[in-house]
Amino acid sequence: MTLLTMIVKLAEGLGKTCAIFFLTLLFSLPLGMVVALLRMSKNRIVSGVTRFIISILRGTPLMLQLLAVTYGPYYLFGAGVARNKLIPVVVAFAINYAAYFAEIYRGGIESIPVGQYEAAEVLGYTRLQTFVRIILPQVIKRILPSITNEVVTLVKDTSMAFTVSYQEMFTIGKQIANSQTSFTPFLVAGVFYYVFNGVVDFAMGRIEKRLNYYQ
Amino acid sequence: MKRVFAFVLALAMVCCLAACGSKDNASSVDEEKVTFTMGVDPEYPPFSYLGDNGQYTGFDVEVCAAACELLGWDFQVFAVNWDEKLIQLDAGECDCVWSGMTILDSMKEAGYVISEPYYDNTQVLLVKEGSDITSSADLAGKRVAVMLGTSGEAMLADDLADLAASFDDLIICNSFLSCFTELGGGSVDAVFVDLPVAAAYAAQNPGFNVINEALGAEQYGIAFRSGDQALCDAIEGAVAELVSNGTYAEIAAKYPDISPDNLVFLNK
Amino acid sequence: MKIMELTHVKKSFADATLHVLKDISLSVEKGEVVAIIGPSGSGKSTLLRCATLLTDMDAGELCYDGIFAAKNDENGRAVYADKATLKQVRGKFGLVFQNFNLFPHYSVLKNLTDAQIHVLGRSKEEAEHRARALLDKMGLGDRGSAYPCELSGGQQQRVAIARALAMDPEILFFDEPTSALDPELTGEILKVIRALADEHMTMVIVTHEMAFAREVADRVIFMSGGVIVEEGPARQVMDDPKEERTRQFLRNYQR
Repeated sequence: MTLLTMIVKLAEGLGKTCAIFFLTLLFSLPLGMVVALLRMSKNRIVSGVTRFIISILRGTPLMLQLLAVTYGPYYLFGAGVARNKLIPVVVAFAINYAAYFAEIYRGGIESIPVGQYEAAEVLGYTRLQTFVRIILPQVIKRILPSITNEVVTLVKDTSMAFTVSYQEMFTIGKQIANSQTSFTPFLVAGVFYYVFNGVVDFAMGRIEKRLNYYQ
Repeated sequence: MKRVFAFVLALAMVCCLAACGSKDNASSVDEEKVTFTMGVDPEYPPFSYLGDNGQYTGFDVEVCAAACELLGWDFQVFAVNWDEKLIQLDAGECDCVWSGMTILDSMKEAGYVISEPYYDNTQVLLVKEGSDITSSADLAGKRVAVMLGTSGEAMLADDLADLAASFDDLIICNSFLSCFTELGGGSVDAVFVDLPVAAAYAAQNPGFNVINEALGAEQYGIAFRSGDQALCDAIEGAVAELVSNGTYAEIAAKYPDISPDNLVFLNK
Repeated sequence: MKIMELTHVKKSFADATLHVLKDISLSVEKGEVVAIIGPSGSGKSTLLRCATLLTDMDAGELCYDGIFAAKNDENGRAVYADKATLKQVRGKFGLVFQNFNLFPHYSVLKNLTDAQIHVLGRSKEEAEHRARALLDKMGLGDRGSAYPCELSGGQQQRVAIARALAMDPEILFFDEPTSALDPELTGEILKVIRALADEHMTMVIVTHEMAFAREVADRVIFMSGGVIVEEGPARQVMDDPKEERTRQFLRNYQR
């Protein structure tokens, strides 16, 4: 196999890696906010249950969660295994990352001084307006570096989709490496991941810069 | 700056050489008390697997243990990551790969020392009971699972590429259990797998059938690092003695899923 | 005409034994400037927070312009009005905080216009027109596009005052508006408040600036230990207090 064929094959896998990446962010970023708000609920039961679920999601390996989401229903109820693995993979990733994002959001929201809420209340903003117009923009700016960290980790974590036989880039890299008895595909895959993360870093850096108009 | 870099590089190389050297010594036949580390796939029953007592066991493991005892060597088992087994062998994490490993031409071309074949293997299809698949001819338009790094996967990419092309999709899984789970869960219609593995799984789990059609013949052997010909010879000599004193047949008798007809040394 | 009236306010925190406000009543006439003085922990700020709905009273009644924000029930517990009424009440007053509490992610101009647009429903043009007029008045006409972090403390507090005024409140509360400022910056804030007093803006000011209170306020209230110890015309309370506690407090301050 020539290096070019290898790169073409890996690039096909890169498409699937991107699918996991973007779909996970699409679902987990908003879901994380919902989880964060439940976690901060004044209702003790709601916040307690949410806290417990978050601790499970953060305290067990993502690989295990992938297996549980994909094969769990079969072992527990004899249900069928999904043919399109992108669905269970994105479900598992989105839930797992939502738990991490929720804790980041919570930290961000709790770091906003109470005076901001009071100023908004006195000016007559509703609770929703206060959150959307006053609190959230400040939270986003504060948490962006932590979000960037998670997003970079996500790029690398996509390779775990192999656990449930989803043919993303790293899986294909392993297959080529195996049939060719060669280490080269891993190097190529490594370069792909590095470049991917470079793009992510650049994009997040631009966003951070745009939010730097105030301190 | 350049000089610092050169120094670091030199240091790194020295460390590498030192590491290689020590590993070479460990596997050298000249040592008085040799520790021989066998690299196995820990999930490949009946050749190598985690036994009920928490120790690695299996046909290959028992043969290797007996051979080491004969040679007076310390015997150890190291669980490799199957699709990285040769990298791990090169890295010195084990002294051989011996675990129902199919001999591939590419291994010889890459310079690995490969033992005489000891087992004639065939690939078969495992299907769910009541499946309408009765032979490989029925696989057109079906979804088939195969485990990454097995000879089955290599065959479907090479000798049996035409067959693979008739599939609706070929799903490459990272463990046998994952393959079988996909089959049980209905996301694939058949698993392309080594006969003894399929037989062992179907024997333990009702609801699965092995289709009696030998797909592609292949042979199992033991892989050593290039340059370890002496080590290979020592092991082969010890195994030959086990065959002649009957121990080999005794061990084989413990594993009903391994047909004596397929064991090369018992048919000479 | 009374703009705001607080009657028999009681408030205690945490273990209910610490009474911060013990049966306090306060009403403010239109155009009146009231200064509240007293040692720290006397309940001045809590009273202000009760008046601006930031803290719920345990008992007592609060009424703005004839609209009740809270009334006592038959057990003497304060019951607050529904959301719509409270929203109406919040439109009556403004509050200037000790720590300004400007919105750091908004420019000075947006700090002044955002609530006008999204709470009062004014058009962008109208809101900006009003905001620019107020900034000119505060001597900050050229800082509209700046962000709060680029301004001095005194400038930030002037923006905060303008933000409150932009909502056209009928009464403006100040919670120690100069306490977070360096001494050399307090003058500019006091000047602004003095100018508002000259325009007959109704104001209630919690302050430690005694000379300022004496000069600007129509009425001075001296609070201590959760009660109003003495109140009356500014000069009378400040120059010739009747109560021994007031005298002692003022003596400490003059030293």
